[in-house]
Amino acid sequence: MNEPSMSASDSASLERGYRRLLAWYPKWFRRENEEEILAVLMACAQEDQTRPSLEAMADLLKGAVRMRLRPMPGQPRTVFLAVWLIIASVLTEAADLITLRATEGGIKASVIARYPAYAHAIGHAVNLQVTIELITGPIGIAVMLCLAWMIVKGKQRGRVAFALFFGVSCLSVLLSLSQDALVYAPAAEGIGFGTWALTAAAIMLVFNKASSPYFGRRELVLT
Amino acid sequence: MQEATFLILTALAAGTQHGYGIISDVAEISDGRVKLLAGTLYTALDRLRADGLIGVDREEVVDNRLRRYYRLTPDGEKRLAAEAARLQAHATAALRRLNLNLAGGVA
Repeated sequence: MNEPSMSASDSASLERGYRRLLAWYPKWFRRENEEEILAVLMACAQEDQTRPSLEAMADLLKGAVRMRLRPMPGQPRTVFLAVWLIIASVLTEAADLITLRATEGGIKASVIARYPAYAHAIGHAVNLQVTIELITGPIGIAVMLCLAWMIVKGKQRGRVAFALFFGVSCLSVLLSLSQDALVYAPAAEGIGFGTWALTAAAIMLVFNKASSPYFGRRELVLT
Repeated sequence: MQEATFLILTALAAGTQHGYGIISDVAEISDGRVKLLAGTLYTALDRLRADGLIGVDREEVVDNRLRRYYRLTPDGEKRLAAEAARLQAHATAALRRLNLNLAGGVA
């Protein structure tokens, strides 16, 4: 396996191009394989090549997506699925916030239609409620991403924090239902329930019997 | 089993090979029809290693580049043999039917 003869600057430029593409692969995979893949890529290069071909680019990016969709070595499938469910719940939470913002006027109108005598006060109350949701929503998203990272790392504290977060999210759903939110804001509330269901599925997977050794083992490594 | 996977296992059936060697061998086995690219090869190798069908035989550093040699495991040999037998049975059945049809057509 000999690299084709090319100038040092061409070779360095091509290598940089390949490294940029390999950066899309998961860190654990790169640690294990990057140098070896790079050696093969350089050996397959044409003599005057200075940048990766479109074919190689597409192939490497496709490989990166495939590797991202696989559990890392030693990671149970349950933990892997739980992390993807948390990421999905982050997306639905973002969709929920957008829907809430887009339907704010309709929500206000439907509450006022039910209690016309208190239109002014209700207008303020709905505004306040939506503002609170729009502030706490992004914070919730940041917390969920942080928890997903801790779960990927196998941190026991992350698992406990996720259980607490789920408890808070259950209370939030119950509070919304008690306020007839499903009647006044069916779209946002429906998506919100979807977020809760995804989080519930993730919590079941994180506390599944198959997931426990992953967290225990990582704790041992850390201590 | 995907064709690329089958060809990678076939390339390793004759002995240990490094990544570039597998690419060249697959091209040779398939008569140039299958051109494996590095991304496809290494995602396949990762999957085959995780499934226990191949293993790392040894590593070398040549011209400051890492070269890792892969080998077929006993499970990999069994799996390849089973897949080859399955494909052979299908090919035999297809040829037999074609011969029958041709014979019928001539008659």
